[in-house]
Amino acid sequence: MTELATRGTTLGGIGIITGWGGGVAALPADAAHAAGDRATIAIDRPALAGPRFRRATRECLLGVAAVQAMLDAAGLPRESIAGADTALVYVTAAAYAASNRAFIEAATGGSALHFPYTAPSAVPAEVAIEFGLIGGYVIFVGGGTTTLEALAHAAGLLGRGECARALVLAVETFRECEDLHARARWLLRRPLVEAAACALLTPGDYDLTLTPTGVRADLTHAARRRAGETLSCEPLIALALGLESGDDRLHLTCQWRDRPLSAEWTRGG
Amino acid sequence: MTARDSARGVDPVVILAAGVVTPIGTDLDAFWSALVEGRDGISTVERFRVDDLRVGCGGEIKRVPATEGSRRVACRASQLLLAAADDLRRRARLDAEPARLAVVVGTALGGVEELERALDKDGRPRPAGSALYDSPGRALARALGARGPLLTVSTACASGATALGVGADLLRADRADLVVAGGFDILCRFVMRGFDALRSLTRGRVRPFDRRRSGLLLGESAALVLMTREADARGPRLGRLLGHASTSDGAHIAAPHPEGRGLLTAIRGALTQADVEPADVDLVSAHGTATPLNDRIETAVLKAALGARADAIPVNSIKAGLGHTMGAAATLEAIMCLLASRDGLVPPTLGFEERDPECDLDYVPLRARAARPRVSLSTSLGFGGCNAALVLDGDGT
Repeated sequence: MTELATRGTTLGGIGIITGWGGGVAALPADAAHAAGDRATIAIDRPALAGPRFRRATRECLLGVAAVQAMLDAAGLPRESIAGADTALVYVTAAAYAASNRAFIEAATGGSALHFPYTAPSAVPAEVAIEFGLIGGYVIFVGGGTTTLEALAHAAGLLGRGECARALVLAVETFRECEDLHARARWLLRRPLVEAAACALLTPGDYDLTLTPTGVRADLTHAARRRAGETLSCEPLIALALGLESGDDRLHLTCQWRDRPLSAEWTRGG
Repeated sequence: MTARDSARGVDPVVILAAGVVTPIGTDLDAFWSALVEGRDGISTVERFRVDDLRVGCGGEIKRVPATEGSRRVACRASQLLLAAADDLRRRARLDAEPARLAVVVGTALGGVEELERALDKDGRPRPAGSALYDSPGRALARALGARGPLLTVSTACASGATALGVGADLLRADRADLVVAGGFDILCRFVMRGFDALRSLTRGRVRPFDRRRSGLLLGESAALVLMTREADARGPRLGRLLGHASTSDGAHIAAPHPEGRGLLTAIRGALTQADVEPADVDLVSAHGTATPLNDRIETAVLKAALGARADAIPVNSIKAGLGHTMGAAATLEAIMCLLASRDGLVPPTLGFEERDPECDLDYVPLRARAARPRVSLSTSLGFGGCNAALVLDGDGT
């Protein structure tokens, strides 16, 4: 069954940061080979200035850095996304795990970490504060298929005129919970590669179609092969690879916890 | 004109039925009776250690109804969801192809208690997959046999409203024929410690909008509704979701914007989508946490959004008797609005006795009021500057 999600969007830009470096140019040809015996390819805490970031977790800063990377890639100033006309749709499968663990393991009363930073909403909150985003706001939890749903949701907001542009942001971190992830190898394939990615959607001439099937598409296959396991970031990395290719038809397929989903982004006729 | 101005009037979706499990009643009928009677579900927490916390009370469900599916899951969050789903299924048939049945649940905490267990150094190592925040939603979808879109929303304590909105969007986009949507969260040490550390919990009574209000108490619940498109709706219904909006404050990681900027935007967005004027609103179900800041800001926002009629519209908060049930709260409050319309009774704001000059609306103090609201507005806020508003039409019978 094919499900038409929405019509009339385009990708205004994508910013990618992974454990391999900034942008898709930093991705190796084969992540598994490049990782060698490393189970996790981590990203250092971004060096963002300002007292507000003193308490912020690493995953929050990665979210901010990914949006800035998108703006840089698209050649847009910060002011271009500020305000109520920009929607923010955030996705993560597991980036909250590090802060949850830190809070659980704190010896006394949670003083080691400010409790609100344990919520998945902490990452988009810091992003919204940093870039002045006060429009539509949704936070989804899940892997690559959820990011495809997030893209469809963002396209729906655009299609209904509920925003003028939408950011779809995904962040995944693994380092702090590497031992736990090692117990979930049925779910997570190595190498686990930390990543943060942001796509800007604007009105345009691409139709987005979602289909609940699981034949792995070239783009997501390439993203997995080159980046490694990036969970919710994988579709955005695949889109970045697709943009480089210049194709009019971008086909993505993901699977998360036994559920496959495909998305096709096609230039309308 | 902003982008939102052009989003006026979308197709409403029908809410066919609801199912709940709460500290004041473990099915919809018991929940509603307890709300109307003003029953208090707050008690000393017994399920885990609280002796090292400033506050050890909350809305704990002492006995979760057993379900066929819940015997196979150890996670309490999943058990609550499955109990609510059982209640829902007793009231309505989930009559759709599995691929056209969607599940959208909201949560602030997901399966975090399972992470606590996985990290328990005294126990044997446990897999942590069930600690992922989307695990309870997956357990629910499995139990329902749903193979359509499956989404977990986590806009903190606004999650239960955002989930209903996302579910409505799936129906409007023809991604599903039926959507089971709602919210859940459990009381666990993780969240009790967190709110205790923030000094957000009251050592006394929860008193929304009262001059003496000193904080909230937490609670646990799961609440689900069954939604479909108007054209596909058959048989009895509870009402309609006319409009929704979820917005960001972009101001602070924990506290609401001092003027309630994001909440006001959400209310206006939801009213616009519903094509409803402020003058049409008959009831407001407020977030009403009973923290000094929230209730003052929320009152000011309601005045700004509803204008001169704000004084005349009943505003209630049901959190005093339930505790703040986080991801479930907004769904429970939406259900309350629809039941108020059905039965012509608005549940009271328990604990409200002394007026605060800064909280000067009609808060339906202490006793249920005979009134039959048709259009209700439900507001929610959460950590991370999350805001959500729902506009509901209770003309369902």
